[in-house]
Amino acid sequence: MPLDTSTYSLALLRLDGRRWNELRRLTAQISTQAAADGSSYLEMGNTKVICTVTGPAEGKRTGGAGTGGGNEAEVRVEIGIAGFSGVDRKRRGRNDKRISEMQTTISNTFASSLFTHLYPHSTININIHILSQDGSLLAACLNASTLALIDAGIPMRNYICACTAGSTSSHSANDEAADPLLDLNNLEEQELPFLTVATVGESDEVAVLVLETRVQMGRLEGMLAVGVDGCKQVREILDGVVRRRGKRILESAAV
Amino acid sequence: MAPSSTQQVLLSPAELSYLHTSLSLDPPVRPDARTSSQFRPLIAETDILPGTNGSARICFADGTEAIVGIKAEVEKSRPSYQASADRNVAEDDDDEEDEETRRDEQLAKEKKGLNEWVEMSVEIPSFRDDDSMPVFMAAMLSEALLADGAFTNKLWINRRFHWKLYLDILLLSQPLSYPLPLLSLTTHLALLSTRLPRLKSEEDEDPLFDDDWAASVFLYPRTQSLIRPPVTLLVMSVGNNIIFDPTKEELAVAESVLAVSVGERPQEKSQGDMDVDSGKPARDLRLLAIRTIDPPSRLTPAGVPNTLNTATGGTAAGTTEQASSKRETMEEEGVWQPPRGGAKRKLIAAMIQAVLARGGVAEEVLDGLDAVELG
Amino acid sequence: MPREVEPSQNEKQFFTKALSENIRIDGRGFDEFRELSLEFGDEHGVADVRLGKTRVLTHITAEVTSPFPDRPFDGLFTITTELSPMTSPSFEVNRPTETELLLSRMLEKTIRRSSALDTESLCLIAGQKVWSIRADVHVLSSDGNLTDAACISIIAALQHFRKPDTSTSGEGVTVYTLAEREPVPLSLLHHPLCVTFSFYPPPAEGNGEGEGEITLLDTTHLEESLRAGSVTISMNRHGEVCQIAKLGGVAVDAVTLLHCTSVALVKVKEISAFVAKRLEQESRRKDVDGKMKTLLSSENARIPG
Repeated sequence: MPLDTSTYSLALLRLDGRRWNELRRLTAQISTQAAADGSSYLEMGNTKVICTVTGPAEGKRTGGAGTGGGNEAEVRVEIGIAGFSGVDRKRRGRNDKRISEMQTTISNTFASSLFTHLYPHSTININIHILSQDGSLLAACLNASTLALIDAGIPMRNYICACTAGSTSSHSANDEAADPLLDLNNLEEQELPFLTVATVGESDEVAVLVLETRVQMGRLEGMLAVGVDGCKQVREILDGVVRRRGKRILESAAV
Repeated sequence: MAPSSTQQVLLSPAELSYLHTSLSLDPPVRPDARTSSQFRPLIAETDILPGTNGSARICFADGTEAIVGIKAEVEKSRPSYQASADRNVAEDDDDEEDEETRRDEQLAKEKKGLNEWVEMSVEIPSFRDDDSMPVFMAAMLSEALLADGAFTNKLWINRRFHWKLYLDILLLSQPLSYPLPLLSLTTHLALLSTRLPRLKSEEDEDPLFDDDWAASVFLYPRTQSLIRPPVTLLVMSVGNNIIFDPTKEELAVAESVLAVSVGERPQEKSQGDMDVDSGKPARDLRLLAIRTIDPPSRLTPAGVPNTLNTATGGTAAGTTEQASSKRETMEEEGVWQPPRGGAKRKLIAAMIQAVLARGGVAEEVLDGLDAVELG
Repeated sequence: MPREVEPSQNEKQFFTKALSENIRIDGRGFDEFRELSLEFGDEHGVADVRLGKTRVLTHITAEVTSPFPDRPFDGLFTITTELSPMTSPSFEVNRPTETELLLSRMLEKTIRRSSALDTESLCLIAGQKVWSIRADVHVLSSDGNLTDAACISIIAALQHFRKPDTSTSGEGVTVYTLAEREPVPLSLLHHPLCVTFSFYPPPAEGNGEGEGEITLLDTTHLEESLRAGSVTISMNRHGEVCQIAKLGGVAVDAVTLLHCTSVALVKVKEISAFVAKRLEQESRRKDVDGKMKTLLSSENARIPG
């Protein structure tokens, strides 16, 4: 279904009524599951993700093949996309290349953001379940993992905050004056060029940058700037979630 | 026998023996001080995912958590349905094809569904899809659901179309204890909350549905008749004690474990009227399926009695054969022996009775699940 | 599964020390590629790319198949990558490693998803017959920077490839042999190429100029195993970004990444020009060969007459 972007230039409002620099509703909870060492539930609009963290623990496979045998903890990521998460029911094989790439991305990101050298010869397992998908999948997974890792108490350098940014006109329109957009939903992702960006905390340091659609080089700067700015907003929200949780723990301890 | 969970509980023979002894007392003393038929509290919610036809989430007290999402899609029934509509049925023809046609026609007349209209998949983290555990779980759950043959009839739209129901069952946590009851209860709630769009077209037209979700109909209608999806409960025995909702530690000393699936018989109106006086209508429960589960206790290490331990002044057996034969014959109090052999028929009967009896455990569970507010 | 040998402590230290003095082990500049050579096979659609000791061979084949029912007007285009144990002992047959996965995803995104090949032009009869183009990428020798080399090799092979000419009449399709009619080139919409940047943490001492991380281009295997992060940028020579993949690793300033894209554009233009030049040389050589052949055949024809 082609996305009707013609109305954007009239009212400067997107299909779902947001302005160009608005995030969707982002809510999250942490410590949702008692059995895991750390867990979180995150909603970015209609994208819903549950993340659980177990570890650092002794690696399951002792065959010596894993890289966990070294001086640093290995971060293993497993993503499961539920059959009911999309509009049509679809079952994905576990060896879908796109999912494997996402797993590798998340694992590499946290391997360099966590203090993995504190846990030699061990494994940190991140399990992500995608319950509902409506764009910004990778970003939601990264944010949920950050929260779950914080909940698990694994020391990390800073929050990893992610969001997507796009551009208001498609590649073929070749419109140099196109405005950047923040946090795309599934419909917009289908039609418009977009990138996923993850930053380290509030800094401009980019840990992840994934662009999969064709776009003119000139538009990239604007998209990246909006994306990095969006990540800062995401950080505020994630920080709020963690602080609220901390406060509640302190209150319950005081009673 | 269905395989036991792969997660082994690491308890020493002494601990196992202690657990076993306390569970075989009369009344049994459970580690968390519950009575033998008491369930642990659980957190349940339904209709959590707007993108599905029905969904539910349950958290057990031990932290295990499951989510079930149900999606329904309209699917064309097999072409033989159409063919049968305009073919003259030759009654005296013994052709196999016609046999099938006639069967299909029979089905169409009675609005009967087929088992293949329901697809169930179980996902357990760090298990592959074709591992035995998820496959067995899915088989046991669909066995209970399809047992009465009435469930698939709900999916009948008309001669040419039917609903295909996809049940995706996700275990979100590690399988700490045997996750079958958790998955079953979650599926039960998800089925209860499942709604299908209201049909607007008539007869054998291409189906047309009402866009208004508020007008949708429940798969299990909220009427007086108490037809509910089945539940599968785990029951274990130690000695003559029957213990419900076992924890993983308790399972580690179980002598036999049963998975009992219970459904409700549709009630006749008159009977329902009679029971109205007594407050609430009694449930007419029936047994749908039983599976014995391989108790994980069989894999636990046995204790060594003092008489066989040189460290405590005993004499160690010369060969392993001698040692095992000595252990077989020995009945020493306080030394853990992994259970062997099967359960007595009387005991199994008693276990089933305890589930099904009026005011029994199944009724309690179903009442509890009814209390969960459906969105 | 055999593991790759990690570089020794000495190698590591030597490398970082050299880098802190702005020297690469093989003496190249930071943004300098190794010597690039491109050879074509006798057949159409065979391209052999050498980048230093890295060598990638791509073979394009075409056959007629039926299209996917949901896309009746589109031909098929598949890229298969194979890393054989010949390349490195850590690769096993039928067991894709992470390297292979990322390589194939990268090529997929760069070439297929950016619609470099016009799949609609591969349609013969809508919904029934389409061309299926298959690119087999064989890594013959691996010494780092596989992605860039593989990408150059596919793009060159696609441009070099000629598919048999066809004609349609009603429901029937005639595929002409190479002798009957001159084969036709594929319709390529643009020529995307990858450039991979590797990042290294700035040297600890000497805060002066080396403030940001050090960025290297066209890394060798040793350099690759020591890098802290990387980004692969795919662009065409018109300055369109087709794909950016920075999959984790060390965090890099956003401005640095933007700078990388402009460096990538320069490199892509250079490599595109090189590929174009080689293609032209090749076609000229072929032309000469072709003319010689026709001349010879006419001579032969005259002898008996």
